[in-house]
Amino acid sequence: MTTPALLAVIAVCAPAAAALLLVLAPALRRQGAPAAVACIAASLASLGAALALALGRSPGEPAVRHVVPWLQAGSRTIAEVGVHVDGISAAMLVVVTLVALCVQVFSVAYMRGEARRGFGRYFAYHALFLFSMNLLVVAPNLLQLFVGWELVGLASYLLIGFYFAKPSAARAAVKAFWMTKLADMGILVGLVVLFVSTGSFEWTATPEPAVATAVTLLLFLGVMGKSAQFPLHVWLPDAMEGPTPVSALLHAATMVAAGVFLVVRAHPLFELAPTTGDVMLWVGAVTAAFAAGLALVQTDIKKVLAYSTCSQLGYMVAALGAGSAFAGFFHLGTHACFKALLFLAAGSVIHAVHSNELAEMGGLRRRMPLTAVAFGIGVLSLAGVPGLAGFFSKDLILTELEGRAGWVPWALLLLTAFATAFYMGRVFVLAFLGAPSARAGHAHEAGLAMTGPLIVLAVPSAVAGFFGGGLAAYVGASYEPHFGLTPLLASTLALAGIVAAVLVYGRGREVAFADALRRLDRAGAVDRAWKLLYSSALLWLSGVLGWFDRYVIDGLMNATGFATLEAGSAVRVVQTGRVRDYALAVVAGAILLSLWGVLS
Amino acid sequence: MTLENCILLATLLFAIGVYGLLTRRQAVAMLLCVELMLNASNLVFVAFARHAGGPGQILAMFALAITVAEVAVGLAIVLLLYRRHGHTAVDAASEARE
Amino acid sequence: MTVDIAFWVAAAAMVISALFVVRSANLVHAVLWLAVTLLGTAVVFALLDAPFLAGVQVLTYVGGVVTLMVFGVMLTQRHDGSVASASNVQSLRGAAAAALLFTLLLVALLRSDLPSSAESLAPDTAELARTLLDEHLIAFEVLSLLLLAALVGAVALARRGDDERGASGLPRARPRARGEAE
Repeated sequence: MTTPALLAVIAVCAPAAAALLLVLAPALRRQGAPAAVACIAASLASLGAALALALGRSPGEPAVRHVVPWLQAGSRTIAEVGVHVDGISAAMLVVVTLVALCVQVFSVAYMRGEARRGFGRYFAYHALFLFSMNLLVVAPNLLQLFVGWELVGLASYLLIGFYFAKPSAARAAVKAFWMTKLADMGILVGLVVLFVSTGSFEWTATPEPAVATAVTLLLFLGVMGKSAQFPLHVWLPDAMEGPTPVSALLHAATMVAAGVFLVVRAHPLFELAPTTGDVMLWVGAVTAAFAAGLALVQTDIKKVLAYSTCSQLGYMVAALGAGSAFAGFFHLGTHACFKALLFLAAGSVIHAVHSNELAEMGGLRRRMPLTAVAFGIGVLSLAGVPGLAGFFSKDLILTELEGRAGWVPWALLLLTAFATAFYMGRVFVLAFLGAPSARAGHAHEAGLAMTGPLIVLAVPSAVAGFFGGGLAAYVGASYEPHFGLTPLLASTLALAGIVAAVLVYGRGREVAFADALRRLDRAGAVDRAWKLLYSSALLWLSGVLGWFDRYVIDGLMNATGFATLEAGSAVRVVQTGRVRDYALAVVAGAILLSLWGVLS
Repeated sequence: MTLENCILLATLLFAIGVYGLLTRRQAVAMLLCVELMLNASNLVFVAFARHAGGPGQILAMFALAITVAEVAVGLAIVLLLYRRHGHTAVDAASEARE
Repeated sequence: MTVDIAFWVAAAAMVISALFVVRSANLVHAVLWLAVTLLGTAVVFALLDAPFLAGVQVLTYVGGVVTLMVFGVMLTQRHDGSVASASNVQSLRGAAAAALLFTLLLVALLRSDLPSSAESLAPDTAELARTLLDEHLIAFEVLSLLLLAALVGAVALARRGDDERGASGLPRARPRARGEAE
């Protein structure tokens, strides 16, 4: 095994070992603190391995692959399991492990109030998640990626429902599970179709164009579920029922980005299917605009960030649809940093004021200056203010979209850029500026365990954009920051959005269209549509199936049973119970048999 | 002592066994007739083994062992029958009908 | 020639004793006639180059089965003649069935082209043993399992229960059977 492969295996296996330890040693888990130590140590080892791996690779180096046969049928190996290290997976590993470590350290402080058992359980889930995510990232083929994909789905379910005693959390967990499973059926079917047509699960499989379209559309269905694309996005806002650090790690930075990662990975396949690309372009653009619209009117700080995540994932998907895997991947990386930062800062605020509601906050900049600065950096980066990370990646996407599909997606995303700046400005103004509310008056900054990760994440959120060229070279793409009309337009809109938000909310005013949007949000049109679909279509279908089962299948059964009974009583007269009659019957049978033998 | 003769003998014994099985009324006597029939079939096995080769003797041996098992269980049933009815006339025993 | 004479003598003895088995009114006599038939079979086995089987036949059949049968008769026949012999109709029916079967088998026998070999193709005892314990080992072992099951079953059936219900689960109609045996 070569060194890079070994490092990748360490990155995957360290959290796995921690998770296994915490599962097998309940005493350790129930102590709480040792569980946190084990989990963070594993993440540290994972991050170390990922960094060593990433720094040890020179740009353009060929991929390192170390696999062992997994499924064997006869002499044929159907699938392999192992590690596949190239620029993309190395970079992704670093992002994932870095964010995970920050979030876990942050969690130690955030979850302090939790009972010991819950504390230990929390970190056990985290270890499981990191293992699954790393398994997904280094997957050498689609099948292993799918395994990791389902495992992160499980971790997500467990962590959303962490406060399972709370009905809304339990409901949200189940909802997330159902929605993503529904989508995952697409991947499962897609995998089967791919295997049947090409005989492999490799990234480089090249099926017929028609098959490629079908497979990629099916895969994209899974991506829509995992990456919360319209109309499968409804689980993500509800997923905010989980602890805030969980939202930061799973539902902002890493897990939801797995869908984008899948498309980046399977890019050769997606390139064969231009139709899928168009679908992705439109779905991404619509999601981005739609979610941004809903983010404008949320009163819960986490919900704003959740819709914002949807919206930004829409950007990535649109970029992938336009055929620019690098733009999507770049935005994935920068988004992971600044969205994790925003969520952790929000977590810090929530921890201080014990409420998610923006109305309960206000004026926090004096009480929590460090958090305010960190959140501010995140806001500016997300809004796309020139010089910060989000600016580079977002503008790359917008540039890639120029002229595609009659400029409509481009225009939608540009509009979204304005909306993004506006709603993020709104959150910042409402939470950190203005007069403190009753609760916010007693808020104070938490210890280093909380502020440390904020500082660590603030740095890449600010400057990561300048390394775009390096990243591009690293993963084997090319990227030049380019300052044309689109970036100019976008940054103008971003600044205008922030200024507008400050002007509107700085004076405590509401925007006129807010009421309409809020009503739309309350109505929960998409949720209702799903409910209708589930309750009417599904119930109708089950009604039909139930009728069929009750009258046709059961009817057949009953008819068979009845006929058997009738036949039984009809032939009962033959059974005299006398041995001699039976003997005679046996002899008669023998006679008939020999008669048959003689005559034939 | 050709194969035909052996089979003829076996057939005759078998037919006598069948006749006995259908006419005797005591359970033990019926068992005796069954023994007669089984014996006839064993004769055929061994005769074929002599004249045509093959695993006839092995089969005969297995049949022998199975016969022993059959007799053991059969006699146990006869004993039970006797205990219930005081005699072993099979015509009286028709509980199997219920 | 000697062999042929021996065969015909044995065959005649077998058929005659078989007829006595089925016709004898006294069950003890019937069992003893069966022993004669079985001995005759053993002789034929020996003539058919199956000396081992002949020995087994004598040991298990004549030595075991017949003894068992005698015991069975002695345990169950309280007085002779308590069981009426078959009616004429039944007798006729049985004879007709047996005759029909015999005729059919005879026709089949006459119509088939049977192999006949001057020298014996039967295996010697050593070969028989090898085949039995090598090629047919699994059947052999399964058979031992069957014997064990039969043994257990026979014991379970014949055992007298300690309570009113016998081990067979059937209620005993005549509890006085116990008193008589004691």
